[in-house]
Amino acid sequence: MKKAILYINQFFGQIGGEEKADFAPEIREGLVGPAMELQKQLGEDVQVTHTIICGDNYMGSNTEEAINTILGFLEGKEFDIFFAGPAFRAGRYGSACGHIGKAVKEKFNVPVISSMNEENPGVEMFRSDIYIFKGGASAAAMRKDIKKMADFGKRLLNGEILNSAEEEGYYGRGIRRQVWLNPPVTAADRVIDMLLKKIHGEKFQTELPIPEQDRVPIAPPIKDLSKANIAVVTSGGIVPVDNPDRIQSASATRWGKYDVSEFDRLESGVYKTIHAGFDPAVANANPNVIVPLDVLRQYEKEGKIGKVNEYFYSTVGTGTTQGEAARMGKEIVEHLKEENVDGVIMVST
Amino acid sequence: MKLELGNFYVKDIVFGEETSYSNGILTINKEEALEVVREDEHITEADLFIVKPGDKVRLVPVKEAIEPRVRVEGGPVFPGVTGELMQAGNGRTHALKDCSVLVVGKHWGGFQDGLIDMSGEGAKYTYFSQLKNIVLVADTDEEFEKREQQKKNRALRWAGMRLAEYIGSCVKELEPEELEVFKLDSITKRSKDVNDLPSVVLVLQLQSQMEELGYNDLVYGWDTNRMLPTFMHPNEVLDGAVISGSFMPCSSKWSTYDFQNYPVIRRLYEEHGKTLNFLGIIMSNLNVALEQKERSALLVAQMAKSLGADSAIVAEEGYGNPDADFIACIVALEDAGVKTVGLTPECTGRDGKSQPLVTLDPKADAIVSTGDVSQLIELPPMETVLGELESLARDGLAGGWAGDEILGPSVREDGSIIMENNSMFCGDQVVGWSTKTVKEF
Repeated sequence: MKKAILYINQFFGQIGGEEKADFAPEIREGLVGPAMELQKQLGEDVQVTHTIICGDNYMGSNTEEAINTILGFLEGKEFDIFFAGPAFRAGRYGSACGHIGKAVKEKFNVPVISSMNEENPGVEMFRSDIYIFKGGASAAAMRKDIKKMADFGKRLLNGEILNSAEEEGYYGRGIRRQVWLNPPVTAADRVIDMLLKKIHGEKFQTELPIPEQDRVPIAPPIKDLSKANIAVVTSGGIVPVDNPDRIQSASATRWGKYDVSEFDRLESGVYKTIHAGFDPAVANANPNVIVPLDVLRQYEKEGKIGKVNEYFYSTVGTGTTQGEAARMGKEIVEHLKEENVDGVIMVST
Repeated sequence: MKLELGNFYVKDIVFGEETSYSNGILTINKEEALEVVREDEHITEADLFIVKPGDKVRLVPVKEAIEPRVRVEGGPVFPGVTGELMQAGNGRTHALKDCSVLVVGKHWGGFQDGLIDMSGEGAKYTYFSQLKNIVLVADTDEEFEKREQQKKNRALRWAGMRLAEYIGSCVKELEPEELEVFKLDSITKRSKDVNDLPSVVLVLQLQSQMEELGYNDLVYGWDTNRMLPTFMHPNEVLDGAVISGSFMPCSSKWSTYDFQNYPVIRRLYEEHGKTLNFLGIIMSNLNVALEQKERSALLVAQMAKSLGADSAIVAEEGYGNPDADFIACIVALEDAGVKTVGLTPECTGRDGKSQPLVTLDPKADAIVSTGDVSQLIELPPMETVLGELESLARDGLAGGWAGDEILGPSVREDGSIIMENNSMFCGDQVVGWSTKTVKEF
C-alpha cells in the first residue's frame, strides 16, 4: 500500500473563509475536504493518510516559518507522494501549493502533484519545480481536477512510462527529453510535411518552440564619463569571504551589495567567489579580475570617470533561471537609482 | 543530369572463395579483401567480421560507414578521394543495399568515434543496427594521433572506402534487382507544370570546423573548411561527391553511408513535380569564426534568392557552436523571403533544462528536432565486443568519460556501459532517418 499526503488551504480545510486566512499550519490524520475525493480517485492501492491545512495569508506572509512547520509535521511520516490543491484560479492558494510542494520535493524527494488554472500566478512561479496540472477556474472543477492529479499519481507510483507534458495535461517543466514517435514518422517525412504547410500558410507545429525573447534595448551612451557614477554588477559570485547574504553557489535566488568606498582594490582573503560554475583559483587570488575595482579607482584618479559607486552588487549566474535573474535585476536597479548611478559595468563569468 | 542507381538487396553475407553476389547472398573472399585494406602501408593490423541485426555484438570505436558500390562505366566511387576527379551523379552506379562497411578501430578511439549495438536496448539508437555489416577492425601506425582526442582516422577511413569499392565491384556486370532513376531538368528548362509548383532548395551545412586539413567533410576531395557555399545537384551527393569527415560528437555526424542514401534528398525527389519544384542543393559549411558564419549565411540566402527559391530546408551536421550557423542561415533565408524549415538535434543537458540550441531566433519558427545528444544511456554487457570497449571511457569519445563522481566510469568491469547519446554512431540521423523527436516533460 502506497501512502499519500494532501495539502489544502483554510477554506477547503473547512476552517473558514478570508477571515481565517491567517490560520497556522495543522496536520490532521485522515481525510478532510477534497482529501475524500482524492482518496476515492486514488482507489485501493494508495491511502491518503494525512491532510495538512494552512491559511493562505499565513503561508504568504510567514512563508519560511510555514514551510518549516509543515516539513516538521512530515518528518518521520511515511509517504510516497504529495498532493497540493487543486488551487483553481486562487492566486495565494496556488502560490502556497507551489511553495510547500517545492519544499517537500526537495526535502523528501517524492513526486509532488498540484493543479491550477492557467491564470493562476502559481503556474509560472512553480511549473518547473512540481507537476502542475491544467485545472479549472473554480471549485466547480474540483472532481475533474482531482481525477487528473490522482490518475497521474497512480501512474507515477506504478512506474508506468509517462508521456510528454502536453499529452499528460500538466504545464511543461522546461525539461526537454528525446522520445521515439509512435507510430514512427521519419524526420524526412516530418520536414516535408512542415515545409508544405508553411509554404501554403497552413498551421504547423514546430518541434522546437523558441521561447519568447525579452530583449532589453542597449542604453544610450553616457555623455560625459568624467562626471559619471559607475557601479559594478556581477553574476560572478564575488562576496566578502564569509558570504554574509548566503548567496547560493548555483541556481541563485539571492544577491548582495557590498560597500567598497574605503578600498582601492578587492584583497584576496577578504573577498572571494562562491560561483560553482568555473575554476575559482584565479578569482580568489585576485577578486579584481571579476570586480575591477583596482582599475576603476585608477580611472577615478585620472578623471576618466566621475566616481566609483559606493557599492558593488553580486550574485551567481550558473544555473540561475531567467525568472530569478530578472527579479534580482529589477531589485538591484532600485538601489542603483537611489545611489544615482549613471552607468553599470556588468561582469559575467 | 541523370543518375541510375542499380540496387542489389543483400539478404545475407558470408565469407567464401570468391567475392561475388548471387540471389541476395554476398560472398566475400576475406584474404583478398584484407589485401585491399593493406594496400596502405599505414595499416598495421586488420581483420574482417560479419555482423547482422540481432547479433549480440557491440562495436566501438566506430569511425565510418560506407555503402559498397561500383561505378558501372568506370571511375572511382568517390571522385577526388579514392581516384581521379570526375563528374558524380551522372550515369550508372550499382549499390549493395541493406548492408554497409563499418570501420572500427582495433584499439584507439576519439571524440568523433561512436558505438553501435547490433541487438538489445542499444540497437534503437543507431540506424546501422538494422543493416548487415561488413566490419573492418584495424589499427594503424599513425602515432601522432594515437593518444589525441581528435583523430583524422585517415588510414582507416580510406581503407573503408577501398573495401567498399572492392566489395561493390562484384556487382559491376550484374543486372540489378531494381533501378532507381534520379533526374532533374535544368532549372531554366523545366515545364510550366513544374515551374508553377513552390520551389525548394536543400541547404546542407557540412561539418568543417577544424582549421587544420584532414578532419572535415570533403566535397570532391576538397576540404569544406576552405569552401564558400556552392550550388550542387542532389545526384552528386547521392553518388559519392561528398564524404564524411572525422570531427564532431559522433551522434551528430553524417557518415558517408548517410550521404550516399540521404533520406531528405530522396523525399524531395518524391515530391518533385507533385507538390514541389526541387531546385537543388546549396552546399554550405559550419566554420568557427563569426565572420565565416555570416559570410556563409549571406551567400546561401543570396543563392536561394537568385535561384528563385520559395522555400528551403536547412540541415546542420553538428550542434553547439554550429547552432549559430544554423540559426543565422535560417534567419538570412527568412529575411530574404524564403520560407524555411530547419533540421537539427538538440542538446538539453543531463537535466533536460538547458537551452536546446546555443542560439535561438523567433524567425526559426519551423524546426524538426531529431533527438537529444545529451540523453544518458545505460546498457548491459554485450557478449562480443569488436574493437575495444575501454576506448569509450579512455579516449575522450564525446559521450564517454573515464570517471564521473556521480555516475562512475562509462565502462564498468562487467562490460556494462553508461554513456551519452553523443557517442551513438551517427545516432541523431539528421539526414532524415530519425523517428525521434524531443518533447517537453
